[in-house]
Amino acid sequence: MEAKSKILIIDDEDVVLDSCTQILKGSSYQLATATDGTRGLALVQEYQPDLVFVDLKMPGISGFEVLEKVHEIDPTIVAVVITGFATVSSAVDAMKRGAYDFLPKPFTPDEFRMIARRGIERRKLMLETISLRREKELLREQFASIVSHELKAPLSAVQQNLFALDFELDKTLNVEQKGKLERIKVRIDEMLKMINSWLRVISVDINKLKDGFTPISISKPIANALESLSSLAARKNIEIVNEVSENLHPVSGDSLSLSEVFVNIIGNSIKYSPDGTRVVIKAEEQGNNLTISIKDSGIGISQEDLPHIFEGFYRGKSSQETATGHGIGLAVARQIIEAHNGSISVESELGKGTTFLVSLPIQNT
Amino acid sequence: MTKKILMIDDDPDFVSGIQAILATGDYEVDVAYNPKDGLRALQSKKYDLLLLDIMMGRGAEGIMIARKLRKDPKLREMPVLIITGMREQIAFLFPGEPIHPRFVDVDELVEKPVEPKLLLDKVSTLIQIAEAKKAGK
Repeated sequence: MEAKSKILIIDDEDVVLDSCTQILKGSSYQLATATDGTRGLALVQEYQPDLVFVDLKMPGISGFEVLEKVHEIDPTIVAVVITGFATVSSAVDAMKRGAYDFLPKPFTPDEFRMIARRGIERRKLMLETISLRREKELLREQFASIVSHELKAPLSAVQQNLFALDFELDKTLNVEQKGKLERIKVRIDEMLKMINSWLRVISVDINKLKDGFTPISISKPIANALESLSSLAARKNIEIVNEVSENLHPVSGDSLSLSEVFVNIIGNSIKYSPDGTRVVIKAEEQGNNLTISIKDSGIGISQEDLPHIFEGFYRGKSSQETATGHGIGLAVARQIIEAHNGSISVESELGKGTTFLVSLPIQNT
Repeated sequence: MTKKILMIDDDPDFVSGIQAILATGDYEVDVAYNPKDGLRALQSKKYDLLLLDIMMGRGAEGIMIARKLRKDPKLREMPVLIITGMREQIAFLFPGEPIHPRFVDVDELVEKPVEPKLLLDKVSTLIQIAEAKKAGK
């Protein structure tokens, strides 16, 4: 059987305490009472109620103070204030300070029962929400550890042995054989990167990045991104035109995660571009913002898909047959850019191409 | 002179991949497949370098070794190359410290899998730095 919900009533008037006790007799609640704030707070500690009724006007410590202390002890305890007719405005005050509801004196048994029931329901909901949140957190951690242990570890072991094999056979293999080995390594590397970006979304709090921001020139993370994308671009015969000047004003950010942003966006552009086309990267200062544009002549994104491409695990319908992607890179990019107080947007026309725009605030000097 | 290396990592297949690469250099490699055996090996023999995995067993058991090394005045002179599956976890395990942990005098971190040239380069550099530090004392 479920434990009885516990109610504590703190009021200096015996008549209130008695009538409340009377009203709740035979109900499914357990009741405790106290005649002043000090005793009431001691009971909060000891009795651990779900719901506390507090009279606002009591000798000794005030109802407001009791209210505050109750929430210091346990913020999930639901508090309802009891007020005389004349003090409706203080009831409003009390609610601003965290009371859930108020009970105006005098009250009928029904009014009291109803407010008690609502308060208890509120407490149950709060506890449920907390336990759900905890469960979700746990699931997230578990999922992250499963992904890293069960998927990443074996792939790393495979790749490490391929590295060793390649290294040992360096002088033995002919060009074609080396090509095969290279293809295996590249594909495994891509899988590892994909797992990393999943893990990133699942287990890393991107907002924590802010603690490590330094002034950086945007050309650096872009150059880093292009370096790691060079083999993909070469494989797809895409020319990348980098027109970003090294002399732009610095932005405040984390170089590694900004590189990740550009790897994801430019990588996306390369993936959805037909062979032999170009991807052009430009950067322009407009007032206090720096806008980086990445323009491709790829298959484009339909109007219907456009609003969703920065959501996780979403991949446009028109793209599914022509390219493989993980639909998460752009979501990660958006999160990182937003952590930099910037914004990311996209313009596109089916069959003509897509332009991604990343806007970042310039650092004030 | 042949350098002695201890590798502590719980994935035998991964270890083989590393061993094959180290075999091309002048190294003698001992392996421990769990932190317990690793500690035992460190106490019974003197090594020129430790290759340490962090995510072992039920969690970050490698970190226990890292912490023990940090406290031991003799062992903390030995250079350590951390080979880890996940960079973020390191930052998480040493809260407030940069990703490069610096928990002993000479250490460095690389991610799994490790390119052969990078591995050989890091291993020989770390051993040299540690020896130079010792000679300078």
